[in-house]
Amino acid sequence: MSKATPPEAEAGGAERIRVMVVDDHPIWRDGIRSDLENSGCATVVAEASDGGEAIELARESEPEVILMDLQLPTVSGVDAIRQIVEDLPGTRVLVLSASGEEADVLEAVKVGAIGYLLKSSTCGEIVDAVCRVRDGEPVFTPSLAGLVLTEFRRVAGHDPAEPRLTTRENEILKLVAKGYSYREIAEKLFISVKTVQNHVQNILTKLQLRKRYELMRYAIQRGLDRSPE
Amino acid sequence: MVGGPMAEAAPTRSAAGRGRAGLRLGVLAYRWAAFTWMLVLAITSHHFRYPAVAWTAIVIAGAWTAWLSITWNRQSMAIRWIDLALSIVLILLSGYVVRTGEVVGDHPFFAASYPVSAVMAFGEATGPSGGLLAGLALSFSLALSRPLNGVAFGDLTASQIQAMVNGFVYYLSAGGAVGLVSIILKRSAAETQEATAQAIKERERAARLSEREALARQIHDSVLQALAMVGKRARELETREAVPGRELGELATMAGDQERALRTLVQREPVEPPSGKSSLRDALEAAGRGAAGAAPSVTCVGPIWLTAGDVEELSAAVRQALENVALHAQATKASVFADEDDGEVVVWVRDDGCGFVYDEERLRREGKMGILKSMKGRIEDLGGAMRITTAPGAGTEVEFRLPVKSEAIP
Repeated sequence: MSKATPPEAEAGGAERIRVMVVDDHPIWRDGIRSDLENSGCATVVAEASDGGEAIELARESEPEVILMDLQLPTVSGVDAIRQIVEDLPGTRVLVLSASGEEADVLEAVKVGAIGYLLKSSTCGEIVDAVCRVRDGEPVFTPSLAGLVLTEFRRVAGHDPAEPRLTTRENEILKLVAKGYSYREIAEKLFISVKTVQNHVQNILTKLQLRKRYELMRYAIQRGLDRSPE
Repeated sequence: MVGGPMAEAAPTRSAAGRGRAGLRLGVLAYRWAAFTWMLVLAITSHHFRYPAVAWTAIVIAGAWTAWLSITWNRQSMAIRWIDLALSIVLILLSGYVVRTGEVVGDHPFFAASYPVSAVMAFGEATGPSGGLLAGLALSFSLALSRPLNGVAFGDLTASQIQAMVNGFVYYLSAGGAVGLVSIILKRSAAETQEATAQAIKERERAARLSEREALARQIHDSVLQALAMVGKRARELETREAVPGRELGELATMAGDQERALRTLVQREPVEPPSGKSSLRDALEAAGRGAAGAAPSVTCVGPIWLTAGDVEELSAAVRQALENVALHAQATKASVFADEDDGEVVVWVRDDGCGFVYDEERLRREGKMGILKSMKGRIEDLGGAMRITTAPGAGTEVEFRLPVKSEAIP
C-alpha cells in the first residue's frame, strides 16, 4: 500500500517539491496527494502509514518535505520526526494534525518539526505551507505561537543558562498569535519579511535547544541520584 | 459541589481530634480519683502542724479541679503552666504542713498522687519531652519536700531514698507516657486529615472527569448525528444532475462544527482551577466556537485564571467584538489572543477585514456605535480599558486591557 519513488527515478518534475505523506488513513493520503499534485508545485514521492515505515521510506526517497500526522500506529509521530530529522537534516517536517493535541504539537516542534497545521486547513493553505517550509520558512499558526509563548513563560527565571526569547522575538510571537501574517508583521514593525522569518527561525532553534537542555539536565539529575538497583 | 469539601472537612477534623479529647478526659478522671485519695488520706492518716494552711490548700486543689473539669475542652498552655506551678506548691507545702518526719513515714504521703495529674496534662499538651520535664520539676519538689519537713537528705535511710526515687519514676513515667500517647494521636490525626484531604481532592477530580465524560458523550452523539446526516445528504446529492454549492457548503459547515467541538475534548488535559477562579481561555474558546461565520482562531498563553465575573464580562466583550467582525468587517479571518503579563490581562480581537475610520460621531450616525460603546462600557466597569486600532483596508484590532487584582497573582 505504501510506496516510495527513489530520488533518481524522479524525472521531468525537477522543480516540483518532493513530498512524503505520513498518515494512517488512506483516504487522507489520497486526498493530500491529489491536492498537492493538482496544485502543480509538488509531487508525492512516498506514502507511509506508520512511524516506522516513515523513517524507512524517508531514508529511501529523501523527500524535501514530509507531511506528518502525529497519531500513528507502532512508532509515534514525534519519535518518527526525531529520527527523520537526525537521518536527513535537510528534510523539512510539517505536522498536519487532526486533534491539535497541544502536548504532542509542542513536542513535535521541539524535536525538529518546522511547522504545524490543522487538518481542517484548506487545500490552498496546505499547498502554500508545503512551499514555504521547503524554503525553510517555519509555518506558525496562532495556536502554535501561543503554545511556544506558554512554553517559554513556563520555566522563565529558573535557570539563567536556558535559552530565552528576546523582546523582539516575544513581540513577533505575540503578533503571530494575534493572527498577523509574516508580511503584515514586517509592515507593522518596519522590517523585512526575511527578518521576520529569521526571528521565527531563531525562536524554533531556541525551542529545540531548550529541549536538549532539558534532556541534559534530566540526565545529570538521573546520574547524580542514581541508586544501586 | 462547592459546599462539599467544606462540609466534609469539619466532621473529619473532630473525628481526628476525638482520640486526644479522650486522653484529656482520662487525665481528668485520674485527677478526680487522685483528689479523692488526697482527701481520704488527709482526713484519715495525717496529723497537720498547720491544719488551716493544709485544708486551704486542699480546698483550693478541689476548686481548681472543679474549674478544670468545667473548662476541660478549652484550656490554653498558660493553664497548664499554672496547673504545674500549683502542683509544685502543693508538694512543697505538704512537706511544710505535716508533722516533722511524717513525709518519710510508713503511711502514704497525702500530696504525692494529685500532682501526677498536672504532669499528665502537661505531657498531653506538649508531648513526651514536655511531659518528662514536668515530671522532673515535680521530682525536684518532692526531694525538696524532705528538708522542708525537717528531714535532712543525709538522714534518709536506704528504703526512704528508694521510696523517694519511686516517686521520681512515677512522675517521669506518667509525663513521658501520656506525652507519647498524645504525640502518636496527634500524628495519626494529621495523617487522617491529610488522607481525607487527598480523598476529597480525588473525589473532585473524579467529578471533573465524569463531567468531561458526560460532555464527551454529548459531543460524540452530536458528531455521530452529523456524520449520519452528512452521509445521507451526500448520497442524496450523488443522484442529482447538478449539485447546488449552497447545499455542499451546509454539509461542510456541519462537518466543520463537529470537528471543532470534538477537538476541544482532546486538545489538552483538563487543569484544576484555583478556588473561585475560572479559565478565561475556556470562555474565549467557547466564544470563538459560537461566533457567526468562519471560526476565529483563539489563542491564550496558559489557562489565565480570573474571577468568574471578570471572565464573564471579558468574554462577553469579546463575543461582541466578534459579532462586529461578522457584521461589518468582511474579513477572511479573525483571531482572538489573550495574554497575562505584568499584572494585566490583555485580550486582542483582530480581523484582516476592511477596517474603518474610527470616528465616534460618524459611527453613531451610521448606527455602528452601539456595540462598540457596550464593549467599552463593560471593560471600563471592570477598571480596564479598550483601544481600537484600525484604518480603511488595514483590518481592525480591538484591545481589551484589564488589571488583575493582586490576589489573583499566585
